[in-house]
Amino acid sequence: MLKRIWALVRKEFTHLRHDWWLPAFMLIGGAMELLLIGWATSRPITNLPLMVLDHDRSPGSRELVAALENTNTFRIDEHVSDMAAIESAIERGEINAAVIIPPDYFDMINTSSGTPTLVVILNGAESIPATEAMRTIEGVTREIGERIVLERLNLNQDQLAGFNPSLRVWFNATLSEALYTTPAELGLMLEFTILLFAALSFTRERELGTLEQLLVMPFTSLEIVLGKSIPVILVGFIDFILLLGITNLAFGVPVRGPVPLLLVLIFIYILVELGKGFVISIISRTQHQAFLLVLIVGMIDFMFTGYAAPVESMPEVLQVIANAVPAHHMLAILRGILLKGSYGKGDPEHHG
Amino acid sequence: MSFRHLRAVTRKEIFHILRDRMTLVLVLFTPTILLFIMAYAITVDIRQVPIAILDYERSAISRSLIQQITAGDDLELFSQVDSFDEIEHLLIQGEIKAALIIDPNFSSDLFSLRGLPIQIIIDGTEPQSGAYAVDHIALRAEELINIQLTRQIQALGLDLDSIQPIDLRIRTWFNPSLKPRVDLVPGLISMVLGLPALSVALTLSHEREHGTLEQLLATPISRVDLLFGKMIPYIFFGLLNVILIPLVAIAWFRIPFNGNFLLYFALSTIFLFAILGLGTIVGVFMRTQAAALALSFLVIFFPGFFLTGIFFPIASMPEIARLEALALPGTHYAIITRGVFLPGVGLDILWPYGVMLLGLGMAFIAIAALFFRKKLA
Repeated sequence: MLKRIWALVRKEFTHLRHDWWLPAFMLIGGAMELLLIGWATSRPITNLPLMVLDHDRSPGSRELVAALENTNTFRIDEHVSDMAAIESAIERGEINAAVIIPPDYFDMINTSSGTPTLVVILNGAESIPATEAMRTIEGVTREIGERIVLERLNLNQDQLAGFNPSLRVWFNATLSEALYTTPAELGLMLEFTILLFAALSFTRERELGTLEQLLVMPFTSLEIVLGKSIPVILVGFIDFILLLGITNLAFGVPVRGPVPLLLVLIFIYILVELGKGFVISIISRTQHQAFLLVLIVGMIDFMFTGYAAPVESMPEVLQVIANAVPAHHMLAILRGILLKGSYGKGDPEHHG
Repeated sequence: MSFRHLRAVTRKEIFHILRDRMTLVLVLFTPTILLFIMAYAITVDIRQVPIAILDYERSAISRSLIQQITAGDDLELFSQVDSFDEIEHLLIQGEIKAALIIDPNFSSDLFSLRGLPIQIIIDGTEPQSGAYAVDHIALRAEELINIQLTRQIQALGLDLDSIQPIDLRIRTWFNPSLKPRVDLVPGLISMVLGLPALSVALTLSHEREHGTLEQLLATPISRVDLLFGKMIPYIFFGLLNVILIPLVAIAWFRIPFNGNFLLYFALSTIFLFAILGLGTIVGVFMRTQAAALALSFLVIFFPGFFLTGIFFPIASMPEIARLEALALPGTHYAIITRGVFLPGVGLDILWPYGVMLLGLGMAFIAIAALFFRKKLA
């Protein structure tokens, strides 16, 4: 039996050699892609175009604008002098937000004669940057407001620890975005690579009419499946190591847990995805169909990984379904071993 | 270019799609299915974040803070623990996303306005939920502080207004409650409508893999006719989706459509032309369908998802990614769909993006035709 499986594996490798650019593409291309996507998506939101309409032009208003600029969230394009410019820029989608400072802003604050109204206009057509802009502006005004209140109450600022709760982030002390985005992107790339290879394996033979030839040969179906599996597993494993290397070297994602455990679990995961790919492969009559099914299945999995949205916040039914999605567990494993690892007992970093 | 030849290739291609019902269904409905999946996957409102609380003070004030924090749907008290070790254990297990620790001197510090002696620990492997918990806890704590501040201000005989020195009024245009779904669904349309490009790449490499490309080339059909003939059926199926998908967005996801549908249809046609052009490049370069598939994932699918500014603002990206974003038809089309759906802007604002798409499409087709000739010569 082993000899026959070996023969089949050799046949698959002959195909791969013949089509060497396919695995090469998938592996090297995938690695480059992870590099670019990881780089582009793992940065904090910065540089959002903001317009300021300063009716006050006082030291107080300039201080506010400087505070906004110092957050790095914004790029203040220009100080405009009328509302029309802001309206048109938002309509054109040129800016994410605008701040309008009233003429008596500084005066009111200094003399405690009233509450100046600061108007912020957000461009809701891009909700993610708009939300970030809102949070940043709220944060800046809260800080300024707190300081003013303390001055009014004649409280000494040094005595006060501030009204913000002290925050600590575990497993990712600097709150680096790369640490939580790139493992998920790695999982996505790996899943699509395995699914594609597995899904095309039988479909391609069927489409080219060579599946019948394979079936009339003295192989059992188990032998054929095993023979087809081994190259895919190999490609999947190499892909994983390559992608892990990139997340580690380029994005500084640590591997804090035991590496052998990680490799064993990834091996199991590759087997599961391989099985799924084979099912797609058997359902589809053409490679075109197999490909479209891979897209749908892959995106459903992606939905449940917890990369884009936390699974705990989903409706109950979806949370149950999530348990049947291998990629969901895979991301938990990746985050657990890479980031949490042996973190814990006796680790001085978070005791205190 | 000959109209008769073009029609012949188009008919042949349509037969290929219609011959097998499953292919037809998949080609027609994959974009809609993906829109559904992604819209639900990405636009989950965060709620019920599981947290643990360690209350060192156990006073009436600390209990009322806990009660206010856990009331409602935002945070879910997974457990109230007695030691720091338990928090550590729960965080490592992934059972909780955040933990709140209330210091023993909580109420005395609060009464004397010395600060806010609470600590929050969040799980940095999935910080969205943690950050949400932090915001929620800070908001409730601020209410407690404000009560104390009000007392002080009254004691000093100051005007109560002075507790809030700046009145921040936030107005959000086009999407008043800042729901991500409202702008992500139009953004995602740019991604799912690009799917036919992958099919075009596949059919071109299909001919080569089966050796039927030589047969086609032996006929008097010119290569440009062949490329366009392959594209036309998918432009047609794509246009069916241009009608179907906004209907889904409007009827199911309740996204407002404020613009002009004819303008949207016209610009969508140009987008299909551009993205299918990208598909033909992939198809021309790859000899097998498997390779065409792999390449289309890398140059069409993943970048279309991550780099077109649907989720990650292009302004925050590094220079290289920004340049690639400019060369992706999806980037310009996402601006068009959002513009037509939400502010409902017209051609006076959208024309540069239309011109850009047209230019990209022509460049892609030119590249494809050029290499098609060379590779077969």
